[in-house]
Amino acid sequence: MRRGANVFILCSPDARVGVSTTARLLTDYHLYSGVRVEGFDTDPHEPHYGDRFSDYVNVVDAAEIKGQIALFDRLLADDETPKIVDVWHRVFSRFFSTVQEIGFFEEARRRNLAPIILYHAAPTETALAGARALSASWPEVEMLIVQNEGAAPLGSHPWDTLRHYPANGKFVIPALEGPVAKILDAPSLSLSGFLRAPPTDMSIVVRAALKGWITPIFTQFNSFEMRQELRSSLYLS
Amino acid sequence: MKPSIIMVGADKGGVGKTTCSRVILDYLDAHEIVTRAFDTEYPRGTLYRFHPHVTTIVDITSTADQMKILDTLNTADVKVSVIDVRAGGLSIALQALAETGFLDAVHAGEYEFMIFHVLGSSIASLDEIEEIAPYVEDAYYFLVKNHVNDTSFFEWDPVTHRRYFEKVRTAGELTIPKLNEMSYEQVEIAGTPFSSFVGDRTSDGRVANHSFVLRGYVRTWLNRIADEFDRIELLDLLKGRGKHSKAGR
Repeated sequence: MRRGANVFILCSPDARVGVSTTARLLTDYHLYSGVRVEGFDTDPHEPHYGDRFSDYVNVVDAAEIKGQIALFDRLLADDETPKIVDVWHRVFSRFFSTVQEIGFFEEARRRNLAPIILYHAAPTETALAGARALSASWPEVEMLIVQNEGAAPLGSHPWDTLRHYPANGKFVIPALEGPVAKILDAPSLSLSGFLRAPPTDMSIVVRAALKGWITPIFTQFNSFEMRQELRSSLYLS
Repeated sequence: MKPSIIMVGADKGGVGKTTCSRVILDYLDAHEIVTRAFDTEYPRGTLYRFHPHVTTIVDITSTADQMKILDTLNTADVKVSVIDVRAGGLSIALQALAETGFLDAVHAGEYEFMIFHVLGSSIASLDEIEEIAPYVEDAYYFLVKNHVNDTSFFEWDPVTHRRYFEKVRTAGELTIPKLNEMSYEQVEIAGTPFSSFVGDRTSDGRVANHSFVLRGYVRTWLNRIADEFDRIELLDLLKGRGKHSKAGR
Protein backbone atom coordinates (compact mmCIF):
# COMPACT_ATOMS: atom_id res chain seq x y z
CA MET A 1 0.00 0.00 0.00
CA ARG A 2 1.22 3.49 -0.85
CA ARG A 3 2.65 5.36 2.12
CA GLY A 4 0.71 8.56 2.69
CA ALA A 5 2.11 12.00 3.41
CA ASN A 6 3.82 12.83 6.67
CA VAL A 7 1.91 14.84 9.23
CA PHE A 8 4.44 16.45 11.55
CA ILE A 9 3.10 17.60 14.90
CA LEU A 10 5.62 19.87 16.60
CA CYS A 11 4.92 20.44 20.23
CA SER A 12 5.89 20.97 23.84
CA PRO A 13 3.94 22.00 26.92
CA ASP A 14 6.77 24.46 27.66
CA ALA A 15 7.21 27.87 26.09
CA ARG A 16 10.31 29.01 24.19
CA VAL A 17 11.80 25.62 23.46
CA GLY A 18 12.14 26.17 19.70
CA VAL A 19 8.92 24.66 18.33
CA SER A 20 8.37 27.45 15.78
CA THR A 21 12.04 27.29 14.79
CA THR A 22 11.69 23.60 13.96
CA ALA A 23 8.49 24.34 12.05
CA ARG A 24 10.37 26.94 10.06
CA LEU A 25 13.33 24.63 9.38
CA LEU A 26 11.09 21.76 8.34
CA THR A 27 9.06 23.99 6.03
CA ASP A 28 12.20 25.43 4.44
CA TYR A 29 13.66 21.95 4.10
CA HIS A 30 10.66 20.83 2.05
CA LEU A 31 10.59 24.01 -0.02
CA TYR A 32 14.31 23.68 -0.69
CA SER A 33 13.69 20.09 -1.80
CA GLY A 34 10.97 21.31 -4.17
CA VAL A 35 8.15 19.80 -2.12
CA ARG A 36 5.11 21.93 -1.37
CA VAL A 37 3.97 21.74 2.23
CA GLU A 38 0.96 22.93 4.16
CA GLY A 39 1.62 24.38 7.59
CA PHE A 40 -0.61 25.28 10.52
CA ASP A 41 0.17 27.78 13.22
CA THR A 42 -2.04 27.28 16.27
CA ASP A 43 -1.08 30.54 17.95
CA PRO A 44 -3.78 32.93 16.68
CA HIS A 45 -2.36 35.84 18.70
CA GLU A 46 1.27 35.91 17.63
CA PRO A 47 1.56 33.57 14.66
CA HIS A 48 5.30 33.89 13.99
CA TYR A 49 5.37 30.74 11.90
CA GLY A 50 2.25 31.76 9.99
CA ASP A 51 3.55 35.26 9.33
CA ARG A 52 6.81 33.93 7.95
CA PHE A 53 5.18 31.58 5.43
CA SER A 54 1.93 33.34 4.64
CA ASP A 55 1.59 31.43 1.34
CA TYR A 56 1.93 28.03 2.94
CA VAL A 57 0.75 28.29 6.52
CA ASN A 58 -2.79 28.64 7.88
CA VAL A 59 -3.31 30.29 11.24
CA VAL A 60 -5.94 28.40 13.22
CA ASP A 61 -7.42 28.65 16.69
CA ALA A 62 -7.28 25.05 17.91
CA ALA A 63 -9.39 25.93 20.95
CA GLU A 64 -12.39 26.70 18.71
CA ILE A 65 -14.32 24.07 16.78
CA LYS A 66 -14.12 26.06 13.54
CA GLY A 67 -10.35 26.14 13.92
CA GLN A 68 -10.27 22.43 14.68
CA ILE A 69 -12.21 21.73 11.48
CA ALA A 70 -9.80 23.93 9.48
CA LEU A 71 -6.90 22.05 11.01
CA PHE A 72 -7.78 18.38 11.40
CA ASP A 73 -9.94 18.00 8.29
CA ARG A 74 -7.05 19.38 6.24
CA LEU A 75 -4.51 17.15 7.96
CA LEU A 76 -6.52 14.15 6.84
CA ALA A 77 -6.80 15.30 3.22
CA ASP A 78 -5.42 12.72 0.85
CA ASP A 79 -3.37 15.11 -1.31
CA GLU A 80 0.17 13.79 -0.74
CA THR A 81 1.18 17.16 0.72
CA PRO A 82 3.26 16.91 3.90
CA LYS A 83 1.64 18.81 6.75
CA ILE A 84 3.41 20.65 9.55
CA VAL A 85 1.60 21.70 12.71
CA ASP A 86 3.19 24.18 15.10
CA VAL A 87 1.33 23.48 18.35
CA TRP A 88 1.36 26.56 20.55
CA HIS A 89 2.31 25.60 24.11
CA ARG A 90 -0.86 27.20 25.47
CA VAL A 91 -3.08 24.85 23.44
CA PHE A 92 -0.93 21.75 24.00
CA SER A 93 -3.45 20.02 26.29
CA ARG A 94 -6.48 21.12 24.32
CA PHE A 95 -4.87 20.03 21.06
CA PHE A 96 -4.21 16.49 22.26
CA SER A 97 -7.53 16.16 24.07
CA THR A 98 -9.20 17.02 20.75
CA VAL A 99 -6.96 14.51 18.97
CA GLN A 100 -8.16 11.90 21.43
CA GLU A 101 -11.82 12.88 21.35
CA ILE A 102 -12.13 12.84 17.56
CA GLY A 103 -9.87 9.80 17.10
CA PHE A 104 -7.45 11.67 14.85
CA PHE A 105 -4.48 9.28 15.00
CA GLU A 106 -6.69 6.25 14.43
CA GLU A 107 -8.26 7.89 11.38
CA ALA A 108 -4.85 9.00 10.08
CA ARG A 109 -3.63 5.42 10.27
CA ARG A 110 -6.78 4.20 8.53
CA ARG A 111 -6.04 6.65 5.70
CA ASN A 112 -2.44 5.47 5.58
CA LEU A 113 -1.06 8.83 6.65
CA ALA A 114 2.03 9.02 8.82
CA PRO A 115 1.60 11.23 11.87
CA ILE A 116 4.92 11.99 13.56
CA ILE A 117 5.20 13.82 16.85
CA LEU A 118 8.29 16.02 17.10
CA TYR A 119 8.41 16.53 20.83
CA HIS A 120 10.69 19.32 22.03
CA ALA A 121 12.71 18.32 25.06
CA ALA A 122 13.31 20.71 27.94
CA PRO A 123 14.95 20.34 31.35
CA THR A 124 11.58 20.44 33.14
CA GLU A 125 9.32 17.86 34.76
CA THR A 126 6.40 19.16 32.69
CA ALA A 127 8.18 18.40 29.44
CA LEU A 128 9.09 14.86 30.47
CA ALA A 129 5.61 14.16 31.85
CA GLY A 130 4.04 15.44 28.62
CA ALA A 131 6.19 13.15 26.48
CA ARG A 132 5.40 10.14 28.65
CA ALA A 133 1.68 10.91 28.56
CA LEU A 134 1.66 11.14 24.76
CA SER A 135 3.63 7.94 24.41
CA ALA A 136 1.32 6.12 26.82
CA SER A 137 -1.79 7.37 25.02
CA TRP A 138 -0.55 6.60 21.50
CA PRO A 139 2.29 4.07 21.69
CA GLU A 140 1.90 3.28 18.00
CA VAL A 141 2.50 6.89 16.89
CA GLU A 142 6.09 7.69 15.98
CA MET A 143 7.59 10.22 18.36
CA LEU A 144 10.96 11.86 17.91
CA ILE A 145 12.64 14.19 20.33
CA VAL A 146 13.89 17.55 19.18
CA GLN A 147 16.82 18.81 21.19
CA ASN A 148 17.24 22.50 20.51
CA GLU A 149 20.60 23.31 22.04
CA GLY A 150 20.04 27.03 21.74
CA ALA A 151 16.44 27.48 22.91
CA ALA A 152 16.27 24.70 25.52
CA PRO A 153 19.79 23.68 26.61
CA LEU A 154 19.84 20.47 28.62
CA GLY A 155 23.07 21.21 30.49
CA SER A 156 26.43 19.55 30.19
CA HIS A 157 25.00 16.01 30.16
CA PRO A 158 21.95 16.16 27.87
CA TRP A 159 21.89 12.36 27.63
CA ASP A 160 20.95 12.18 31.31
CA THR A 161 17.76 14.05 30.48
CA LEU A 162 17.06 12.55 27.08
CA ARG A 163 17.36 8.91 28.15
CA HIS A 164 14.16 9.29 30.18
CA TYR A 165 12.15 10.36 27.14
CA PRO A 166 10.18 7.71 25.29
CA ALA A 167 11.15 8.27 21.65
CA ASN A 168 12.00 6.57 18.39
CA GLY A 169 14.84 8.96 17.59
CA LYS A 170 15.90 12.56 17.84
CA PHE A 171 16.78 15.65 15.88
CA VAL A 172 19.40 18.03 17.19
CA ILE A 173 19.13 21.72 16.40
CA PRO A 174 22.53 23.19 17.30
CA ALA A 175 22.87 26.54 19.01
CA LEU A 176 23.75 29.55 16.88
CA GLU A 177 26.09 32.27 17.98
CA GLY A 178 24.43 35.55 18.98
CA PRO A 179 25.08 37.69 15.89
CA VAL A 180 24.07 34.92 13.51
CA ALA A 181 21.00 34.06 15.57
CA LYS A 182 19.94 37.70 15.29
CA ILE A 183 20.06 37.53 11.50
CA LEU A 184 17.94 34.42 11.60
CA ASP A 185 15.13 36.52 13.11
CA ALA A 186 14.96 38.86 10.13
CA PRO A 187 11.43 38.51 8.69
CA SER A 188 12.71 38.63 5.13
CA LEU A 189 15.23 35.79 5.54
CA SER A 190 14.10 32.61 3.84
CA LEU A 191 16.37 29.68 4.66
CA SER A 192 15.51 27.82 1.47
CA GLY A 193 16.13 31.01 -0.51
CA PHE A 194 19.39 31.51 1.35
CA LEU A 195 20.63 28.05 0.42
CA ARG A 196 19.74 28.58 -3.24
CA ALA A 197 21.26 32.04 -3.48
CA PRO A 198 22.89 33.53 -0.37
CA PRO A 199 22.35 37.30 -0.27
CA THR A 200 25.45 39.05 -1.55
CA ASP A 201 25.12 41.81 1.02
CA MET A 202 25.42 39.32 3.88
CA SER A 203 28.76 38.99 5.66
CA ILE A 204 30.71 36.02 4.34
CA VAL A 205 31.35 34.90 7.92
CA VAL A 206 27.66 34.95 8.71
CA ARG A 207 26.88 33.14 5.47
CA ALA A 208 29.32 30.38 6.35
CA ALA A 209 28.01 30.10 9.90
CA LEU A 210 24.39 29.99 8.76
CA LYS A 211 25.10 27.40 6.08
CA GLY A 212 27.08 25.39 8.62
CA TRP A 213 24.07 25.48 10.92
CA ILE A 214 21.37 24.65 8.36
CA THR A 215 23.14 21.89 6.46
CA PRO A 216 23.43 19.30 9.27
CA ILE A 217 19.82 19.95 10.26
CA PHE A 218 18.58 19.38 6.73
CA THR A 219 20.76 16.29 6.56
CA GLN A 220 18.96 14.92 9.62
CA PHE A 221 15.57 15.58 7.98
CA ASN A 222 16.79 13.92 4.81
CA SER A 223 18.10 10.88 6.73
CA PHE A 224 14.76 10.57 8.48
CA GLU A 225 12.92 10.56 5.15
CA MET A 226 15.30 7.97 3.75
CA ARG A 227 14.78 5.75 6.79
CA GLN A 228 11.04 6.07 6.27
CA GLU A 229 11.42 5.07 2.62
CA LEU A 230 13.50 2.05 3.60
CA ARG A 231 11.00 1.00 6.24
CA SER A 232 8.13 1.15 3.78
CA SER A 233 10.03 -0.59 1.01
CA LEU A 234 8.24 -3.70 -0.22
CA TYR A 235 11.50 -5.45 -0.91
CA LEU A 236 12.96 -5.06 2.54
CA SER A 237 9.97 -6.00 4.63
CA MET B 1 -37.76 -11.72 23.72
CA LYS B 2 -41.12 -10.37 24.80
CA PRO B 3 -42.62 -7.48 22.83
CA SER B 4 -41.39 -4.28 24.44
CA ILE B 5 -42.36 -0.67 24.42
CA ILE B 6 -39.82 2.01 25.20
CA MET B 7 -41.56 5.28 25.83
CA VAL B 8 -39.57 8.51 25.77
CA GLY B 9 -41.27 11.59 27.06
CA ALA B 10 -41.32 14.77 29.03
CA ASP B 11 -44.03 17.21 29.89
CA LYS B 12 -41.79 20.06 28.79
CA GLY B 13 -40.54 20.85 25.32
CA GLY B 14 -36.93 21.50 24.46
CA VAL B 15 -35.43 19.10 26.98
CA GLY B 16 -33.93 16.76 24.39
CA LYS B 17 -36.64 14.13 24.28
CA THR B 18 -36.34 13.39 20.57
CA THR B 19 -32.55 13.35 20.92
CA CYS B 20 -33.01 10.63 23.52
CA SER B 21 -35.27 8.63 21.17
CA ARG B 22 -32.76 9.02 18.36
CA VAL B 23 -29.85 7.73 20.42
CA ILE B 24 -31.94 4.77 21.58
CA LEU B 25 -32.71 3.90 17.96
CA ASP B 26 -29.03 4.23 17.06
CA TYR B 27 -27.97 2.08 20.01
CA LEU B 28 -30.45 -0.68 19.24
CA ASP B 29 -29.56 -0.58 15.56
CA ALA B 30 -25.86 -0.91 16.44
CA HIS B 31 -26.77 -4.06 18.38
CA GLU B 32 -28.83 -5.37 15.47
CA ILE B 33 -32.11 -5.15 17.35
CA VAL B 34 -34.73 -4.37 14.77
CA THR B 35 -36.90 -1.58 16.11
CA ARG B 36 -39.88 0.42 14.99
CA ALA B 37 -40.72 3.88 16.22
CA PHE B 38 -43.84 5.94 16.70
CA ASP B 39 -43.64 9.70 16.69
CA THR B 40 -46.56 11.30 18.48
CA GLU B 41 -45.68 14.80 17.37
CA TYR B 42 -48.75 14.68 15.16
CA PRO B 43 -49.03 15.70 12.29
CA ARG B 44 -45.34 16.66 11.77
CA GLY B 45 -42.87 14.38 13.45
CA THR B 46 -39.33 15.39 14.40
CA LEU B 47 -38.22 11.82 14.99
CA TYR B 48 -39.68 10.88 11.63
CA ARG B 49 -37.37 13.39 9.95
CA PHE B 50 -34.28 11.54 11.20
CA HIS B 51 -35.52 7.94 11.08
CA PRO B 52 -38.18 7.92 8.35
CA HIS B 53 -37.71 4.25 7.43
CA VAL B 54 -38.71 2.94 10.84
CA THR B 55 -40.97 5.69 12.12
CA THR B 56 -44.71 6.17 11.88
CA ILE B 57 -46.37 9.40 12.96
CA VAL B 58 -49.33 8.71 15.23
CA ASP B 59 -51.85 10.50 17.39
CA ILE B 60 -51.66 8.43 20.54
CA THR B 61 -55.04 9.67 21.75
CA SER B 62 -56.83 8.34 18.68
CA THR B 63 -58.16 4.81 18.87
CA ALA B 64 -57.03 3.98 15.35
CA ASP B 65 -53.45 4.90 16.10
CA GLN B 66 -53.49 3.16 19.49
CA MET B 67 -54.46 0.04 17.57
CA LYS B 68 -51.55 0.59 15.19
CA ILE B 69 -49.18 0.48 18.11
CA LEU B 70 -50.68 -1.97 20.55
CA ASP B 71 -52.59 -4.45 18.43
CA THR B 72 -49.48 -5.16 16.40
CA LEU B 73 -47.16 -5.78 19.36
CA ASN B 74 -47.70 -9.54 19.25
CA THR B 75 -47.94 -9.93 15.52
CA ALA B 76 -45.18 -7.69 14.24
CA ASP B 77 -41.76 -9.21 13.49
CA VAL B 78 -40.23 -6.22 15.18
CA LYS B 79 -40.30 -6.80 18.91
CA VAL B 80 -39.17 -3.40 20.17
CA SER B 81 -41.25 -0.27 19.70
CA VAL B 82 -39.99 3.16 20.66
CA ILE B 83 -42.66 5.79 21.26
CA ASP B 84 -41.44 9.36 21.17
CA VAL B 85 -44.12 11.26 23.06
CA ARG B 86 -44.62 14.85 22.03
CA ALA B 87 -43.84 17.62 24.50
CA GLY B 88 -46.44 17.88 27.23
CA GLY B 89 -47.97 14.54 26.34
CA LEU B 90 -46.33 12.05 28.69
CA SER B 91 -49.11 11.94 31.25
CA ILE B 92 -51.75 11.83 28.51
CA ALA B 93 -49.94 9.04 26.69
CA LEU B 94 -49.58 6.99 29.87
CA GLN B 95 -53.22 7.54 30.68
CA ALA B 96 -54.16 6.39 27.17
CA LEU B 97 -52.06 3.24 27.62
CA ALA B 98 -53.72 2.61 30.97
CA GLU B 99 -57.18 2.94 29.44
CA THR B 100 -56.41 0.49 26.65
CA GLY B 101 -55.39 -2.13 29.19
CA PHE B 102 -51.76 -2.12 28.10
CA LEU B 103 -50.46 -1.40 31.59
CA ASP B 104 -52.50 -4.34 32.93
CA ALA B 105 -50.92 -6.55 30.29
CA VAL B 106 -47.49 -5.34 31.39
CA HIS B 107 -48.46 -6.17 34.96
CA ALA B 108 -49.43 -9.66 33.83
CA GLY B 109 -46.01 -10.06 32.25
CA GLU B 110 -47.12 -10.06 28.61
CA TYR B 111 -44.89 -7.14 27.64
CA GLU B 112 -41.85 -5.26 28.84
CA PHE B 113 -42.35 -1.55 29.35
CA MET B 114 -39.66 1.05 29.78
CA ILE B 115 -40.03 4.74 30.29
CA PHE B 116 -37.25 7.22 29.72
CA HIS B 117 -38.44 10.40 31.37
CA VAL B 118 -36.35 13.29 30.11
CA LEU B 119 -36.06 15.99 32.71
CA GLY B 120 -35.82 19.70 32.18
CA SER B 121 -34.35 22.25 34.52
CA SER B 122 -37.58 23.69 35.92
CA ILE B 123 -39.45 22.73 39.06
CA ALA B 124 -42.49 22.07 36.83
CA SER B 125 -40.46 19.52 34.98
CA LEU B 126 -39.51 17.83 38.23
CA ASP B 127 -43.14 17.85 39.38
CA GLU B 128 -43.95 15.53 36.47
CA ILE B 129 -42.13 12.76 38.28
CA GLU B 130 -44.85 12.67 40.93
CA GLU B 131 -47.64 13.14 38.37
CA ILE B 132 -46.82 10.07 36.36
CA ALA B 133 -45.95 7.85 39.31
CA PRO B 134 -49.33 6.00 39.30
CA TYR B 135 -48.72 4.77 35.77
CA VAL B 136 -45.20 3.48 36.04
CA GLU B 137 -45.38 0.82 38.73
CA ASP B 138 -44.70 -2.06 36.37
CA ALA B 139 -42.30 -0.23 34.15
CA TYR B 140 -38.56 0.12 34.18
CA TYR B 141 -38.68 3.82 34.83
CA PHE B 142 -35.51 5.78 34.10
CA LEU B 143 -34.93 9.45 34.69
CA VAL B 144 -32.87 10.99 31.94
CA LYS B 145 -30.68 13.98 32.61
CA ASN B 146 -29.95 15.51 29.25
CA HIS B 147 -26.98 17.83 29.47
CA VAL B 148 -27.30 19.05 25.89
CA ASN B 149 -28.59 22.32 27.31
CA ASP B 150 -26.06 22.55 30.15
CA THR B 151 -28.80 21.88 32.67
CA SER B 152 -27.65 21.28 36.25
CA PHE B 153 -30.84 19.58 37.51
CA PHE B 154 -30.67 21.43 40.79
CA GLU B 155 -27.51 19.61 41.81
CA TRP B 156 -26.39 22.96 43.22
CA ASP B 157 -29.45 22.96 45.51
CA PRO B 158 -29.25 19.81 47.69
CA VAL B 159 -32.68 20.26 49.24
CA THR B 160 -34.51 20.46 45.92
CA HIS B 161 -32.31 17.76 44.45
CA ARG B 162 -33.06 15.38 47.33
CA ARG B 163 -36.76 16.15 47.26
CA TYR B 164 -37.14 14.90 43.70
CA PHE B 165 -34.31 12.56 42.97
CA GLU B 166 -33.93 10.63 46.19
CA LYS B 167 -37.57 9.99 46.99
CA VAL B 168 -38.71 8.69 43.65
CA ARG B 169 -38.35 4.97 43.06
CA THR B 170 -36.82 4.42 39.66
CA ALA B 171 -34.80 1.83 37.84
CA GLY B 172 -32.02 4.38 37.70
CA GLU B 173 -30.80 7.55 36.11
CA LEU B 174 -29.31 8.00 32.70
CA THR B 175 -27.08 10.86 31.69
CA ILE B 176 -26.86 12.20 28.17
CA PRO B 177 -23.67 14.27 28.00
CA LYS B 178 -23.33 17.56 26.22
CA LEU B 179 -22.55 17.63 22.52
CA ASN B 180 -21.05 20.86 21.22
CA GLU B 181 -23.49 23.10 19.36
CA MET B 182 -21.78 22.99 15.99
CA SER B 183 -21.76 19.19 15.83
CA TYR B 184 -25.37 19.03 16.96
CA GLU B 185 -26.46 21.62 14.41
CA GLN B 186 -24.66 19.85 11.58
CA VAL B 187 -26.49 16.62 12.35
CA GLU B 188 -29.73 18.62 12.41
CA ILE B 189 -28.94 20.04 8.99
CA ALA B 190 -27.93 16.63 7.66
CA GLY B 191 -31.29 15.22 8.85
CA THR B 192 -29.84 11.74 9.35
CA PRO B 193 -29.46 9.41 12.32
CA PHE B 194 -26.38 10.22 14.45
CA SER B 195 -24.81 6.93 13.36
CA SER B 196 -25.17 7.85 9.66
CA PHE B 197 -23.53 11.19 10.34
CA VAL B 198 -20.64 9.42 12.07
CA GLY B 199 -20.39 7.03 9.13
CA ASP B 200 -20.32 10.03 6.75
CA ARG B 201 -23.49 9.01 4.94
CA THR B 202 -26.45 10.96 3.66
CA SER B 203 -29.99 9.83 4.34
CA ASP B 204 -29.98 7.88 1.06
CA GLY B 205 -26.66 6.19 1.78
CA ARG B 206 -24.29 8.28 -0.32
CA VAL B 207 -20.95 9.63 0.94
CA ALA B 208 -21.71 12.92 2.66
CA ASN B 209 -18.30 14.56 3.18
CA HIS B 210 -19.09 15.77 6.67
CA SER B 211 -16.24 17.25 8.68
CA PHE B 212 -14.13 14.55 10.32
CA VAL B 213 -13.80 16.71 13.41
CA LEU B 214 -17.56 16.97 13.86
CA ARG B 215 -18.04 13.28 13.11
CA GLY B 216 -15.39 12.52 15.71
CA TYR B 217 -17.17 14.57 18.33
CA VAL B 218 -20.51 12.90 17.54
CA ARG B 219 -18.92 9.43 17.59
CA THR B 220 -17.36 10.02 21.00
CA TRP B 221 -20.63 11.43 22.31
CA LEU B 222 -22.60 8.43 21.00
CA ASN B 223 -20.07 6.07 22.56
CA ARG B 224 -20.50 7.75 25.93
CA ILE B 225 -24.26 7.37 25.68
CA ALA B 226 -23.83 3.74 24.62
CA ASP B 227 -21.78 3.26 27.80
CA GLU B 228 -24.75 4.61 29.72
CA PHE B 229 -27.13 2.17 28.02
CA ASP B 230 -24.67 -0.63 28.76
CA ARG B 231 -24.53 0.49 32.36
CA ILE B 232 -28.31 0.26 32.78
CA GLU B 233 -28.23 -3.06 30.87
CA LEU B 234 -30.79 -1.92 28.33
CA LEU B 235 -30.31 -4.96 26.12
CA ASP B 236 -30.72 -7.34 29.05
CA LEU B 237 -33.87 -5.54 30.14
CA LEU B 238 -35.32 -5.96 26.67
CA LYS B 239 -34.47 -9.65 26.83
CA GLY B 240 -36.15 -9.93 30.22
CA ARG B 241 -33.00 -10.61 32.23
CA GLY B 242 -32.06 -7.25 33.65
CA LYS B 243 -31.19 -6.76 37.30
CA HIS B 244 -32.97 -3.43 37.70
CA SER B 245 -36.13 -3.25 39.73
CA LYS B 246 -39.35 -1.90 38.37
CA ALA B 247 -40.72 1.32 39.74
CA GLY B 248 -43.37 -0.20 41.98
CA ARG B 249 -41.29 -3.09 43.35
